[in-house]
Order: sequence, then C-alpha cells, then structure tokens
Amino acid sequence: MSAVATADQKSASQAQDTDVIIETRNLGKVYRDFWGRKKVNALKALDIEVKKGEIFGLLGPNGSGKSTTIKLIQGLLFPTSGRAFVFGKDARDVSKNERIGYLPEESYLYKFLNAEETLDFYGRLFDIPASTRRQRTDQLIKMVGLDRARRRQLREYSKGMTRRIGLAQALINEPDLLILDEPTTGLDPIGSREMKDLILRLRDEGKTILMCSHQLADVQDVCDRVAILHQGELRELGRVDSLLKVRDVTEVHAKGISEEVKQKIVDLIKNSGGEVMSVDNPTTTMEELFLDIVRESEQRPGARFGSK
Amino acid sequence: MRIERERMWGFFEWLFQQGGLLSGVLLVVLLSALAFTVCYLVAMARYGPGEGFYVVTRVIYELFARDLPNTSCKRIFAFAKLAFQEAIRRKVLAVMAVFIVALLFAGWFLDPNADYPAKLYISFVLTGTNYMVLLLGLFLSCFSLPADIKNKTVQTIVTKPVRSTEIVLGRVLGFTFVGTVLLVLMGLLSYVFVDRGLRHTHEAEEIAADGMSGTTSFDSHHAHTFNVNPNAVKEAATDEKKGHRHFVEITEVNGQRVYSIGPAEGMLEAKIPVFGSLKFTDREGKEADGLNVGYESNYQKYIEGGTLCSAIWSFNGITESLGDELPIELTLKAFRTYKGDIVTGVQGTIILRSSNGRVESERIPFVIKEFAVDERRVNRKLKGTVDQVPKELDLYKDIAPDGKMEVIVRCSDKGQYFGMSQADLFLRAGQNSFAWNMFKGYLGIWLQMLIIICFGVMFSTFLSGPVAMIATMTCLAIGFFGGIAEEVARGTTPGGGPVESMIRMANQAGAMVDLDLGNDVLEKSIQGVDTGIMGALYLLTMGLPSFNDLNTSEFVAYGVNIFEGLVARHMTMALGYFVLTAIVGYFFLKTREMAA
Repeated sequence: MSAVATADQKSASQAQDTDVIIETRNLGKVYRDFWGRKKVNALKALDIEVKKGEIFGLLGPNGSGKSTTIKLIQGLLFPTSGRAFVFGKDARDVSKNERIGYLPEESYLYKFLNAEETLDFYGRLFDIPASTRRQRTDQLIKMVGLDRARRRQLREYSKGMTRRIGLAQALINEPDLLILDEPTTGLDPIGSREMKDLILRLRDEGKTILMCSHQLADVQDVCDRVAILHQGELRELGRVDSLLKVRDVTEVHAKGISEEVKQKIVDLIKNSGGEVMSVDNPTTTMEELFLDIVRESEQRPGARFGSK
Repeated sequence: MRIERERMWGFFEWLFQQGGLLSGVLLVVLLSALAFTVCYLVAMARYGPGEGFYVVTRVIYELFARDLPNTSCKRIFAFAKLAFQEAIRRKVLAVMAVFIVALLFAGWFLDPNADYPAKLYISFVLTGTNYMVLLLGLFLSCFSLPADIKNKTVQTIVTKPVRSTEIVLGRVLGFTFVGTVLLVLMGLLSYVFVDRGLRHTHEAEEIAADGMSGTTSFDSHHAHTFNVNPNAVKEAATDEKKGHRHFVEITEVNGQRVYSIGPAEGMLEAKIPVFGSLKFTDREGKEADGLNVGYESNYQKYIEGGTLCSAIWSFNGITESLGDELPIELTLKAFRTYKGDIVTGVQGTIILRSSNGRVESERIPFVIKEFAVDERRVNRKLKGTVDQVPKELDLYKDIAPDGKMEVIVRCSDKGQYFGMSQADLFLRAGQNSFAWNMFKGYLGIWLQMLIIICFGVMFSTFLSGPVAMIATMTCLAIGFFGGIAEEVARGTTPGGGPVESMIRMANQAGAMVDLDLGNDVLEKSIQGVDTGIMGALYLLTMGLPSFNDLNTSEFVAYGVNIFEGLVARHMTMALGYFVLTAIVGYFFLKTREMAA
C-alpha cells in the first residue's frame, strides 16, 4: 500500500518536474521598514505557472513587481504570503539552484576579476570539475564575444560587455531554467538581437526561460507567454500571439499590385460593408534598418553616408 | 617578566580543573540561547508567534540536516580564493610597505645602547606586527561581505547552490590566508631586522702581559673583558654585557697567541623554566600571606628583612638532568624603607631544603640584582645539616631524593623588603630553540588575527561595514583591556563602579573612603545600578577572548620558552571562537533577505 503511495507520489512529482518548472501560489510580498511598518505592497497574490520549454515573460512598468517576483522565486526575498516552487522545491531550498542560471538586472559581478576568473569562480560554486570548467569557460567567452577581453578586469568593461559576461556566468552550469532580469538593457541593437536569438536557441534546446522586461518589443519578439503586472497585481496572462491578435481588424500583405488593383480592393471592402482604416506601404523597424546598415558596412568597409 | 599564575596552567589542568571546558560550554549554551531568543523575537514580530517559532526552528534544523552535511570544501576554497584575490587586487600588500617604512624608522629610535637591546628589538617587531596584523584583519573582514551585499554581487552568489556555511567559512579562510602570507613576510623581515640589528663581534685588545686576560674592542656601545682559565687555554668566555657574552678561541700561530672572538651568545634564547608553587611565612615563621607594601598591583608580595619572613617555592621533578650546577634565576624586587648602603644593595639568603624539612643547605648569601635577571648557579655538592647535624650534602641525593625540593628566600637587611611573585624564581631546565619560540610567538599573533577575522565576518553578516568594524573594535578593546574590565566588574578595584566613581569625581572624594551621600537608599541604589552594569561587563569579559592572554610576545622578548600548555590552550580557545562565530554568522546570513 505504502509502496504504491510512494510510487504515486514519485510519478506525481516527476510529472510536476517535467511539466511545471515554476509555480507560485498566492505569492505576495510586503516591504517593511526597520520598525516593521508597512512601506509598500509590492506583490499581491500572484498565481502563475511556467511550463517546461517555454519562454515566459513578466511585463510591466517600473515598480510593478516584476523584479520582486523573480527575487521571490529565487529565494533572494522571503514571501510575506504564499509560496513559490521551482522544480517542485521550495524557493528557499538551495539545492534547486543547481539547475538555474540567473542574469540579474545589472550584472553584479566582482569587478576585480577578469572574465576567465569570473567564470572559473562561478563554475567552482557548482562543483564543476576543473577540466570541464576550463572547457566551458573558453566556450562561453567565445560565445558571448569576449575572446579579446578575457584577461581584462571587469572594472574596465563597458556596460554591454558586463552584460555579456553576466550572461556567460548564468550559463556556466548548463541550466535547465534560465532567469533573465531585463536581458537586453545596456546592449546595442546587435547585442540585443544576438541575445534574443540566443534566448530562442536555448528554448529550442529544451530549456525553460523566465524573463522580465519593460522593452515591449523584446517581449513580443521572443516570449511564448506573458504575464502583465501592474501595481503588484496580475492583469493579463496568456500566449503572446493570441493576446496581440486584434480580432476585428484584417491585415493583407501583398506584393506587385498596381494602384488600380489597390483601388478595387478598397472599393470591394467598402461595398461589402467594411471600413478601410488605412492603405499604406509597410515600414521596416529601426532595428532592421540598423542591422542592415551594419551588415552592409561590414561587407563594404569605408563606404560613407552620401558617397555612392 | 610578569607571568600570572593562570599562564602556568598545563593544558589539561586548564581544560578540566580550571574550568576551561566548562566556561566554553557555558558560553556556547548562553550565546545559543541568546541568539535563539533574539531571532525568535525578530521572527515573531515579522510572522507572528507560531509561524515565527517555526521559522527559527527550521533554520536550526536546516543547519544540521541540510547545510552542514552538504557543505562543500571546494566551494569554501572557491570563496577563500576569491577573498584572497580581492585582498591582493585591492592592494593589501601596501601594508608591507608601511611595515618596511616602520622598520626603517625604528632603526633611528631603538636605542642600541639599552641594557637589553635584544628585548627591545624583539618586543618592537612583535608588537608592531601584532597591531598591524590585527588592524589588517579588522579591515579585511568587516567590509567585504557588506560591500558584496551593497553591490548586490551577493545575489549572483546565493542564487548558486551555495550554503551560508560556505560563505562564512570561505571568507574566514581566505582572509586568514591573506593575513598569514603577510604575517610570514613580516616575520621574515623582522627576523632579518633583529638579527642585523644585534649581530656584532669584537676584536681582542689590551691583552695582559701573561696572556691570561684581556679586553675586547668597543663595538655596538660596549666592550667585554675575559679571563683565560689556566687549565683550558684553548678557549675562554667574556663577561656578560647587554644580555650576552662571546666565546674566545685561542690559537697559537708562530708561537704567538691569537685571540678570536666569536658571535654574541645568549642574546636570542628561549630558556625552559621550571616553576614552583609559592607560599610565604610571617615574622614568626608561621605560614601567612605575603605583605603588601602599598602598591596597587598585588602581583608581587613582600617579605620583611631581618625577620623569619620568608618566601618558599616548592618544586617538583628535581632530577640530575638539571646539571651539576643547579641554575636558579631570580627577578626579585627590593622595597626600601631607608636608603641603606647604595653600593652593595639589599642582601638576602637562599636555603635549599628537602620537602620533609629535615635536610637543609647552609645559607647562600646574595645581593639583589634589581631590574635584571639574576642568574645563579648552585653546585650540587654543598654544606648543610641533616636534622640539625652538619654534613656534606649532595643536592639530588640528599635534599631532593624524591624529586621534591623547597627554595627559601629571606631578606637579611632589617627594615628592607623583598618583593616576589611565583614566576620570580625558577629553575632553568634547559634551552629551547629561539626560532621555534619566535614561531610560537607569531602563532599567538596569528590566533589573535584569526579571532578578529572571525568576529569581523560574523558582525558583517548582519551589520554594515563601518558598524561591523566598530563592533569588532569594541570586542578587541574589551579583549585588550579585559583585565581592567574584569577587575571593575568583580568590584576588586576600590572606588566602585562607573556611576559611583563618577559621583566620587564630582564630590572630590577619594577612592578609599566609603561612599557618603547622606542618604542610605540613594547610596544603595547607586551601588545596585553599578552592580548591574558591572555584572553585564563581567559577562562580556568572560565571553570575549582576552587578547592580552593570547599575546605571548613578552615571552619571546624576555627569552622564556612559551609553554606548550599555553599554546595548546590558545589554539583550543581560537578554535572555540571560530566555531561559535561561524554558527552565529550562519544564522544571520540564513535569515537575511539578500535582495532587501
């Protein structure tokens, strides 16, 4: 009887392990001052589930409780109410950290270490054997493009470089769950794009990603599901594509049609009782434009604006 | 040199008989209870009485069930390495530059013309190293963790599979390693400084016509004389000046005697003392306490001259290994009630007596040598009495056949006094290596540093850097001035506690008169408040390490071997504080919100 029960529990926990990576139940946080007086109710009764293999975005304006949620999930803060579970373990259980990679808001790293030493140090914290550590350090430094600065102390790094080494640090243990707090801040458009590509690639490798951001474009680009927070409360939760879909507006993209045909289409819409909102040529995004220019400049070095 | 009775305890005597173990256990129990109560009160305020209790007990459960078993040496080592890198990159080695500059300047101010230059040099380097290393430990340990918390670097740490135990232990280990490296460097530099400062030799000059005596050249502010023993004309020794002497080697070249004088001997030494227990007799010869001649310090007691007043040291373990000439060293003090004969000084006698009192040597007269170590040798063949019958005696066979012996000291001059403590007369059992003794002295400094680092890291787990430093400094101050604090706390110093002495100061009342405010209730309540303050102070001094006790540099400077029992005791104490502070640090770190 008890053997069956344990087997059941096991399979239940396994199921939990494979399906739901992060779970918060009624999670709340009240910040208090030294005397225990209530200062701010940062998070109110949050219930979310992050499933394996998805990119989950926490979205909201400044002070909406995104970072608080991320910190509660990692045990950096203790909840005032409710609980958070990661891999089925309590958020304050240290052993869950074995499978987590965390990139904090700003890369809080030791400025007196260089890139290699930083990764070596964080690798040691995971008890990674020396040879694996060396190999992975090398691999990650190349991946984040810091090969030429690997022996410079972090105090000399620019913001973007610090961000990159921060990311490498988060990946040192080949985590199953990656928690990214504002992953693209401080990065130039190329870095930002690379970061987003990397996030998607990691998702394709089967990793789960929880990120928070107020860069809406980023969230839109990469997230599968989002939770929108405002004033500590969950306002919206769902798949990005369905959330963003405007159901009563139809968009048609077509190529190679004349003005005449365009007019015909407009007339057709009007005749069938629809309303034409605008007919326009699409613009590209600033990001695309910038990336195109950089790409071209790399192919044709020396060409300047205005020169043909 | 002052050696308190407590310092002579053997390790096991201290641990079991003198309550070392007991007070350690008591300290752990009291502190744990205190920590538990404080943590519970905080948790109760935050989570309510039931939940608060659960939170605190869970931390205790986690320490033993999860965190201690899963503590990894590799991670501790990673933190230690980080702490070391941090210290080096923050240019802690600059301390060495300060130390070197201090040594260079010291050369100007240390008087090579002093009576005991070795003592001066050694106590300077040891004291300098001690203060420097303690300050270094203080700064290293107090600021690192708060800086990490402030810079939020700690958030990247605690989101890794890192236990709070590892953070605390790693830091203590890392800073201790930095301190050790600096201590070793300072030790080597100091050794060179002392050696170079003291090393000298002389040339033979003014040889007598018969070649049997001579004087050396005047070097390093002194000259020696020497006499050649007609029975051994190959070698001789000079007289003792400034705490050392030289051996003279005499060779014959072409029928001419050549005198070559060797290096200084006995300057850097570590003699192994055998102490006896001390008791006194009064003017009638009955057992009594020694006299107090009016000094505040009760360290030395006095005997009156020209009476049966005597100081009796009882020794154990007297064997022939002490040599044919029993070496006795005296550091007695004289207290004069009249000027007396200044040239000869106050006189006294020494008698060696068997433990049963039947066998007694005849009186060995001596003149007190003040403010210096008086080294005397008593030949094993001596005259004396057995049951009052005169007889030729052998020290080991007749006086101390059972290995026990009493040494009786009396003052001969009427109206003058001799002062002595237990450590002021000892038998010299041999010589230990000076380098080893110096190492033990440095070990004492190292242990002090370790304790400071432990306290610094403990305080830094819950206080900000500057506040942690002040807290650690307070511990250091109480540790250094623990003696005074303890005396005030015990009420043995006249004048009462802080409030009472304040009132005395305002009223210009002496410390020895009774407190008189004309109101019994007021007086009693003031003394009650003082007792409360003194009690708290007493508890604090009991609970905190005594840095004065841990400091053994005086032994090295005075050339006395640091007792092994003392070293073992200090190491045990340091280990105790290490464990205690690590546990307290763990609790604070564990219950702290790292991102708050």
